[in-house]
Amino acid sequence: MSETHSIGRRSVLSTGLLLGSGLLLGGLTGCGSGSKVAEIPMAAATGVPAPGRRLRIARPAASAAETLDPASSLSAYEYLGAIYNRLVKLDDKGVTVPDLAAEWSSTSDGKTWTFNLRRGVIFHDRRPLTAADVVYTLGHILDPDVGSPQAGVLSPILEASGVTASDPHTVVFNLTSPNAEFPSLLTAYQCYIIPVDSAATIGATGIGTGPFKLSDYTPAGRGAVEAFVDHFAGPPALAGIDFYSVQDTGARVNALLAGQIDLISQTNLDFATARVVASSPNATVARAKDAQWYTIPMLATSKEFSDPLVRQAMKLAYNPKDIVATALQGNGSTGWDNPVPPGYEDHLDFTREYDPEKARSLLKKAGAEGLQLPIYTSSYDSVFTPMAVAYADAVKAAGIKLTVTSASSDSYYTEIWMKKPLSVSYWFTGRPVDQLLNQVFRSGSSYNESAWSNKTFDQLLVSARGEMNDAKRRGIYQDAQRVIIDDGADMTPMFGDRLVGLSKEVVNYSEFGFEFDYMLIGLKS
Amino acid sequence: MTQLILRRLGTAVLTIVLASLLVFLAIQALPGDVAQQILGRDATEESIAKMRSELGLDTPVVLRYLQWLFGAVQGDFGTSLVSGEPVGPTLLLHFRNTLLIAIPTVLISVTLSILLGVFAGLRRNKWQDNSISLISLVAMSIPEFMMGALLVLAFAIGIPLFPAVVLDGPNATVAELLPSIWLPVIVLSLAMAAYVIRMTRTSTIDVMTSDFITTAQLKGLRESRVVLRHALPTALLPTLNVVAINIAWMLGGVVVVENIFNYPGMGNLMLEAVFNRDLPIIEAVAVVSATVYVACNLLADLTAMLLDPRQRLAKGSKRKAKATAAGSQATATGEGIQP
Repeated sequence: MSETHSIGRRSVLSTGLLLGSGLLLGGLTGCGSGSKVAEIPMAAATGVPAPGRRLRIARPAASAAETLDPASSLSAYEYLGAIYNRLVKLDDKGVTVPDLAAEWSSTSDGKTWTFNLRRGVIFHDRRPLTAADVVYTLGHILDPDVGSPQAGVLSPILEASGVTASDPHTVVFNLTSPNAEFPSLLTAYQCYIIPVDSAATIGATGIGTGPFKLSDYTPAGRGAVEAFVDHFAGPPALAGIDFYSVQDTGARVNALLAGQIDLISQTNLDFATARVVASSPNATVARAKDAQWYTIPMLATSKEFSDPLVRQAMKLAYNPKDIVATALQGNGSTGWDNPVPPGYEDHLDFTREYDPEKARSLLKKAGAEGLQLPIYTSSYDSVFTPMAVAYADAVKAAGIKLTVTSASSDSYYTEIWMKKPLSVSYWFTGRPVDQLLNQVFRSGSSYNESAWSNKTFDQLLVSARGEMNDAKRRGIYQDAQRVIIDDGADMTPMFGDRLVGLSKEVVNYSEFGFEFDYMLIGLKS
Repeated sequence: MTQLILRRLGTAVLTIVLASLLVFLAIQALPGDVAQQILGRDATEESIAKMRSELGLDTPVVLRYLQWLFGAVQGDFGTSLVSGEPVGPTLLLHFRNTLLIAIPTVLISVTLSILLGVFAGLRRNKWQDNSISLISLVAMSIPEFMMGALLVLAFAIGIPLFPAVVLDGPNATVAELLPSIWLPVIVLSLAMAAYVIRMTRTSTIDVMTSDFITTAQLKGLRESRVVLRHALPTALLPTLNVVAINIAWMLGGVVVVENIFNYPGMGNLMLEAVFNRDLPIIEAVAVVSATVYVACNLLADLTAMLLDPRQRLAKGSKRKAKATAAGSQATATGEGIQP
């Protein structure tokens, strides 16, 4: 979550600049070679990486308070995947797969989980990884003084004293309540494993077991990592990565076009800029499929949206296909108000009705005919305003009059989000289903952006956690998705592809949600 | 004269303190505080409360301002609320980096624009004057961010002569930063030169038509002597104030330009600090900016006194001198517009 507030937060100054240079560059390449403006490529380039190359990444640093402590809410996100490993990670179908844990199992009641660690794993300081490191890491995440965002997810079911090492390669978790999905909750990037007794220093040393070893680091400044040849999965394709902090989106794009860097991280390029980059001689665009989960939260506690009929009408009144076509220019998938991304195995494939007339009659029934209110947006993300405009336009057919109101991007998430009845927002995808539903939709969760509360839904989540049969549990999660679609207050019009600017020399780039594959990515000779 | 300078210095200190107070209050009026800004969407009630008490944000505003002022007077600007580093060294580093683009900018633009302005004024309404005027008007009309984008496009992406952005942090050595300063210097020089050229041109025209120049010319003095010895000192008077205001303006323009080029100077520091509501940094930047502003104006007035005996003699009647200068400026501008 700490990464969500970096994207596009500097876009205020650069929007005009990018547009200007975009048009100009388009014009220049057009005149020079007679070629057209290129379309945005569908897939990243693959190939054999050359040995000994270094990748240069420009990133928007969140603030000078950033740290390499993965548990912190102020972690310097890009470094984490390169220098650390977790017990388990999520694959692109939302399934939990091994990382540092070779295998895991639970008792039949789902309360006691046993993880067996991979053998022969060493930290960058050459100390071997043992169960004690895992126990220490979990204690660190659950420490209230650390204030880790993942503590809110784990602490209801796990106490620090419940994590023990039964032998040097076995960790046992005694949960306070059954949880069939417990392993998936350890896939969050706050759960990267750090060495025992390192809490005080980890923020600067970054000692982990990952494919790269930290060699240089300044908060909100430059940094570098070097390939760790003794990594358990073999050395990565690159010899090293240099990280540069560039705050302005336009400046990051210029650095890429000028060949000063090879990849722009945490930046969803707007479509005009993406076409400019794709048309340039040395850079191109890759996409992280469906990585941006866009939402329109209706505040369920507001007088406008406390009536479920009104919320239902707001959904029936628009067709997500229209929003994808205009706001995303087709670069994404329709959401149909289901927050679980289409690629996930637990995804419920259900297309709700689209019926503006029915929406109109529901509003009449609720005494809210001709509903009129502002929908808030900002330049925080380049898709926010197009989405708000497209939605406001779509619901006109049901007699709903929305005024698109733009708020300052630098205080959008403190002043507007979760405060105004209707606004637009987004999250990164890549959360396991259990965490996604519990964090953003369960009653009282601090990330429940629509303040929605539904007892049936909450009960479904509890029973899913107690259901050890995978097929049955999937059924319950799908029922829960249906409740969100029917009654929920947080609309999901679409999932957008994140458009990532990179050099044409980069091969084997792959990113799922915010999972960057640091092992395979390389540069051509 | 000494008394005048002392009085001006007193006003200067008052101006700086007032500026610091206004900035302090303005930041309080902005939505969100440093805890909310840094934590963003992870700002739960507990984490905000924890960070606020750690940073001492629960102390009343007035008390915090007085604490800050007390420290600042003794040269202690406190520590950054975000990085926890002392403000003084950070500020010095960024100020040095900004000077690295500000000094060449002032030298280049002032020299070039006075030369061009005087030349245009002497060649009034000839093709030289017309082309200088046209080019400076165009340069004046293009905002810095656009000019920056155009130059990056031409000289960093099209023909890779200069780096498009600075990848080094504020700790970079002068040698490391040197290749990167030229595009920012050109952008700022163009924006600044345009005004100075216009001003110098009009005041040169104004002076060249005045009686004492006609007398000098009728006396049979060489044209170069008339221009250099008699016309130039007078013509430069209104220009000085424009230069002073431009240098002060540059501190603002530098924010946009440094952002475009990711240049680790004071503008970048300020932008980041305002975004994060990092009060000690903002206050320190405000004090430095106010000091530069006040110093530039003071220097301009003192130089004007040196150049203009009338201002030196009019003891204590600075207002009158200013009025005269403003008056000549006004007539000059009015005259310049006529075809």
